[in-house]
Amino acid sequence: MNSRFILLLFVMAGLVVAFAPLPVQPITPQERTFRIDARQYAYSPSEFKVNPGDKVNIQLVSTDVVHGLYVDGYDISIEADPGQTKTLSFVADKPGSFRFRCNVTCGAMHPFMIGKLTVGTNNWLYRSIGLAVLAVIGFLPLSSFIPQTKNMD
Amino acid sequence: MKRSELISRILITVAIVSVVGAPLYFWSHTPLIHVHIAEDGGWSPDVIKANVNEPLNLKLTSDDVVHGFAVGQMDMQSVDVLPGKVADVTLNFDKPGIYTFFCTRWCGINHWRMRGTIEVSGSPADPSTSSGQRPEPASVPMYVTLGLDIDAPHDSPSIPFSQPSAINGQQLAVNLPIDRSTEYYLGNSPYQVFDELGSTSLTEIQRWNVVASIWQSNTTPESLANGQHLFAQNCAACHGENGAGNGVFADDLAAADESSMQTMAGSDNMTMQSPVDFTNPTRMLGASPALLQGKILRGGMGTGMPMWGSIFTEEQIWDLIAYLYSFQFDYHN
Repeated sequence: MNSRFILLLFVMAGLVVAFAPLPVQPITPQERTFRIDARQYAYSPSEFKVNPGDKVNIQLVSTDVVHGLYVDGYDISIEADPGQTKTLSFVADKPGSFRFRCNVTCGAMHPFMIGKLTVGTNNWLYRSIGLAVLAVIGFLPLSSFIPQTKNMD
Repeated sequence: MKRSELISRILITVAIVSVVGAPLYFWSHTPLIHVHIAEDGGWSPDVIKANVNEPLNLKLTSDDVVHGFAVGQMDMQSVDVLPGKVADVTLNFDKPGIYTFFCTRWCGINHWRMRGTIEVSGSPADPSTSSGQRPEPASVPMYVTLGLDIDAPHDSPSIPFSQPSAINGQQLAVNLPIDRSTEYYLGNSPYQVFDELGSTSLTEIQRWNVVASIWQSNTTPESLANGQHLFAQNCAACHGENGAGNGVFADDLAAADESSMQTMAGSDNMTMQSPVDFTNPTRMLGASPALLQGKILRGGMGTGMPMWGSIFTEEQIWDLIAYLYSFQFDYHN
């Protein structure tokens, strides 16, 4: 077995890990409603997960000043005054992790008022862990084939 | 260069500079009003002087959070005052007097303290409609003419077992000898009307249904919708979106305790009041529209309840009151 064959094997394995289609479990989309309390300068809860295709209703409740909620990637937003709960409804048709943030200047720390919406499982995280493991394993047998530089006496 | 060409070049330059420069000059000479949350000083300046029939130009900018600007009892679109941006407002006053301007976006627990005045002097545009230099006197509110003590307890001694239905009461009310004047409705609490119906042969719930139908006949869907809009914008932050007195600031008010109250004579004899629960029938059914008008006009005098007399028009207050009773009466089916 030469080194080229082993290298080819690992490259093939890497491609499989990176791009192989995963078995898709049939998930029936649901309607999910979240209530998010917004205050200076945090959302509570600040992270939530849905399945792709779910209908998501976000009820934004401001408890001190006017806050907003902008979902990056989906490019949709709402704005809520205290006492006026607003609901943002959308269909989570794009999988991935998306940041949501306040889009109404609400004070000094306003830029740090962020949260995360996760749609579906984070496949790229698991694929990149797999690739890293593969790279470590692959390095061990391949390292013996690396030509050693000879000491020049 | 020909002489005529030189002159035309100078003329064009002067024209362009004056067209662009003159508005810029006036804009830069309009004072900029800085807006902060009430704890940091509110409006600065908070007293503005103006003259009748001269447009008043204002520039507003916020130094912290989102605020809004509107003048009380004036038919105007409120203007959002955003941090880092300058909002332009042009106001026209056709009557002299002192106008109150206020913040229209909830900017914290002391949002309602953000008020300022515009002192408009000069003589009114049309002397025939108004009497000389003096502003028209405000009409005396009904609670004063009726001699109501708006701070006295006004609990209803009896409450219905279920929500009274106006539709069920309508048929019963047809043949009853009821005073259908607006004054009767405004001056009496639902319980008083219920009590007067005791002489009829109706059962208790039927009497309450008749009361609900009387209250419904004194309002319109438009009034209720307007009242609901005003409630959401101005009241819901403390009184709750469903009127139950549990708005997002209710806990903060309780936690702030004395610091959320203001009084001229010291806070010794004051007790902290939580926002009123409009879904509580004992309280609401014992209150007449005139009493509620007094409370809204004057405010809570030291509690967190603002004084709305200089902000809302009389019509807006009646719309709001009609909406408050809809927490007690079923107007739909």
